[in-house]
Parts: sequence; C-alpha cells; structure tokens
Amino acid sequence: MMETREWALVTYTILSQMAVGSFLVLGAVHFLAQRKAGEAEADRLSDRALLAIGPVLVLGVLASLLHLGNPANAYRAIANIGSSWLSREIFFTMAFTGVGFVFAIMQWRKLATPAIRNAVAVLAALIGVVAVYSMSHIYMLANQPTWNSAATPLSFFCTTLLLGSLAIGVALSANYTYLKSRKSAALDVQANLLRDALRWIAVAAIVVLGFELVVISASLIDFGSGDAAASLVNIAEDYNTLFILRISLVFLGAGVFAFFLYRTASVLGQERVLFALVYGAFALVLIAEVMGRYLFYASHIKIGF
Amino acid sequence: MAKQLAFHFNSSLCNGCKACVIACKSKNALPVDVNYRRVYEYGGGGWVADPMAPAFLTPNNIFVYSLSVACMHCENPACVDVCPAKAIEKRDDGIVVVDSDKCIGCHYCSWACPYGAPQFDPEEGTMRKCDMCADVVDEGGTPYCVSACPMRALDFGELEELRAKYGTVAEVAPLPPADITNPAFVLTPHRHSQPVGSKVGRVYDDEV
Repeated sequence: MMETREWALVTYTILSQMAVGSFLVLGAVHFLAQRKAGEAEADRLSDRALLAIGPVLVLGVLASLLHLGNPANAYRAIANIGSSWLSREIFFTMAFTGVGFVFAIMQWRKLATPAIRNAVAVLAALIGVVAVYSMSHIYMLANQPTWNSAATPLSFFCTTLLLGSLAIGVALSANYTYLKSRKSAALDVQANLLRDALRWIAVAAIVVLGFELVVISASLIDFGSGDAAASLVNIAEDYNTLFILRISLVFLGAGVFAFFLYRTASVLGQERVLFALVYGAFALVLIAEVMGRYLFYASHIKIGF
Repeated sequence: MAKQLAFHFNSSLCNGCKACVIACKSKNALPVDVNYRRVYEYGGGGWVADPMAPAFLTPNNIFVYSLSVACMHCENPACVDVCPAKAIEKRDDGIVVVDSDKCIGCHYCSWACPYGAPQFDPEEGTMRKCDMCADVVDEGGTPYCVSACPMRALDFGELEELRAKYGTVAEVAPLPPADITNPAFVLTPHRHSQPVGSKVGRVYDDEV
C-alpha cells in the first residue's frame, strides 16, 4: 500500500490533467455552439462550466504540496527549468493556471472582444498541453524502464481527454439543471446545444477509450522486455484484481455508458436517463483512471537500487 | 586540487560485515532507515540430481558476494540534472553534495538515481546522501567508511589514479549499468561476479 506522498501525486496528476482536458473540451464545445447558435447562447452553455475548472486545478496543486517533505521551500521548485522536467511541469502548470484565470475573468466579465478572448483561450489550452507533456517527461528516466516509454505521455493524454470530456459533460448537465430551476428564458436552444455536446462527448470518450486500451496493451507487451518484465509480474501477482477492475470500469464508463449516452442524447425528452448516464460515466472513468494511476506508481521497476 | 574524487571497492575482500555502514551512520548521525552506505549480499545457486541416484541432490553453482554501495559521485549525476530546486551540485573535486537549505523534499532525485544514494530524512523533511565526508576530506582526511573497513576493501582517491591501480570495472550484478550516469567508482570484482543485468542471483539482505 502506498503512503500519503504517492496518493498526493495520484491526486495531483489526475486533477491537473482533468483540468487541462476540461479546458480543451470546453473550448471545442464553445466554438461549435457559437457557430450553431451565436455568442450569447454559447456563453450561456459554457460560462459556468469554465468557472468550475479553477477549483479542480487549485485542489490538485494543494494536493501536490502534500508530496513535499519541505513545503516551505516550494517556491524554489522552478529553479531548474534548464534541465529538470519537474521544474518545467510546475512552471507550465502555473502558467496554465494564470492564463486560464485571466481568460475566465475576461469571459465572465465579457472584457475585450470575443476574438481576443478566443486568442487568450487558445494560448491557455496550448500551455496546458505543454504542462501535461512535461508532466509525462518527469517519469521518463533512464533507470525507470516501466516509465521510460511513449506509453507514459500517451496514457497521460488519454486520461486528460477522457476525464476532460466526461467532466465537461457533467458540468454542462449541471448547468442545464440550474438554468431549468431558474425558470429563465426559453431553454429550447440550450437543450439542443446540450444534446449535441453530449453526443460529441460520447463519441470522444469511445474513441479515446479505444486508444487507451491499445496504449495499455502495448505497454504490457513492452514490459515483456528486459528489466521491465518484473513490473508485469508485479501487476500479475499483487495487483491483478485492481488491474482487471481498472480495465472493466473504464470500458463500462467510456464504452458502454458512453454508447447509451449517445443513443439517449439523440432523442428528445429523456433528460433523467441522460443525466444519470453522464454522471455515471464520469464517476466510473474517474475511479478507473485513479486506479490506473495508482498502478502506474505502485508497479514501476527501477534499475539498480 | 583533485579533479574527481572516487571510491574503490574490492568485492573479493569484503565479508559483508557492514562496519562501513555503521561508521557512516554514526559520523552523519543518520536516523533509522537512512543509510548513505549500504552493503548488499548478492547470491544464488541451485541443485542438480545425481545421475546415478536421482533422489540425491548436489548443490550446483552456489555463489555469494557482497557489494558496498554509496553515492558514486557520478560524472553525469542524474540527481543534479533532475533536481527542480538546484539543491544538488557537483563540486570542483567531483563530490556531489545536497544543500538541504535549498531542498524541497520532492524525492525526485531518489527516483532518478540508479544507486539509491539520495534518501529522504523524515526528521529533516529533506533528501540526504553521502558527501564522501567532504568536511574530513577537505582537511586532508579519509572518509569514515574507508577507515572503518577491517578488510581494507574500501579505498578512495583521485579517480584516474584508482583506475591506474585497480582497473576500470564499475559494474556487476546487481549494480546498474555504468553508462547511465558514469559513476566515479572502481570495482575489483569477486571471482563469482555475475554480469550486470544478470537475473541468476538475488539480493539477500535488503534491509541495509
């Protein structure tokens, strides 16, 4: 069983990747909604979801501090951008948080023009991608054969997109429920935008799921070579139940639930079932990805001592 | 001024007594579970059936040897590269030291080091490791582990001089391949040494 320290890393990497993925997916949703129904309706669809990303990121960063033995010195962690991927990751995560925050303020207060706001959002999204890329490179060390492969960045980006898309599905559904409770202006347009968004989110989840299963399989085969084989033995002997659960839950959430989500979102007036499927898919995939990340830390093999 | 100070270890002399571990531990006042220097006993072997009487088994290819391992003060120290706080530096004489005033206790150096040198001190909240008794060496003295060895299996000095004297071997199982970090280390191997990467044996005393 791992210590608090490792759980801090599981929490931090999952939450920060979910935040970056949410930002990317929400950007795509907003862009498409804008072209379909105009600026005002698109903002009504996505503005509240945007504000939900901040707390997730802050929670992740706070969790990362639990991993430090000497948090009083945390400010020194960006001293080595020249050669440490850890410094780079912290730098880009902070930059993503900063630029994302500026964008959120602009979007919420409708500062500047939509074109300028979009440019800021694209910049934040790019920085977020670089942050996840840097995060994966932290683990690609010459003496860590199970981590030192393309599977690490690929699986990190799978987590980013899977959790990002389903989290936005949850946020948009919650936003719609809120708008409905307010008995505000006509919701026909919003309902249509939401159903479209959820269909695309379901498709994205199924596509990324397929890709993730390929990455997991490829990494297990890769483990068959040299030192890394011991990691596969670890998984087989100590974590086989957890591994099978992890695969099953992600398949159930991003595969089965997402399939029914697509079907349900295609017909009118099935809201209760629709929302149950969105929340269920997100919960299942979140649990599965946490398990997967736990295995990532628990089963790695080091060369030497 | 030395260009690169280094350790030499003679595996065929070492009897695994761990005097080096204890000398280091008391010199640096290390807590339980933190050991800059560790001795690993690596061994293996099997049984063969007597062809005349298959019920009788004879020991076969039995071997065991010890390795005393501390920081290798590498030419390309992975710990220095990855430390986000620039808390680890390589001195002009090649000794690699941690500045605990700068360390944030993130453990990253211990992930990157193939020799298990940097270790977390829960009392300090920072990473600590062998500094070759820099304070003693700066005064012209000898690292405590070297002085303590009753078998005279440890030596230290200028890397090039040690290589001229003892050869250039720096890797056997279960040490990592030397090309990962280029350790400032010279090894006189035991006659039963298994090649680096070999899975024939295993470490028998993981604690220290």
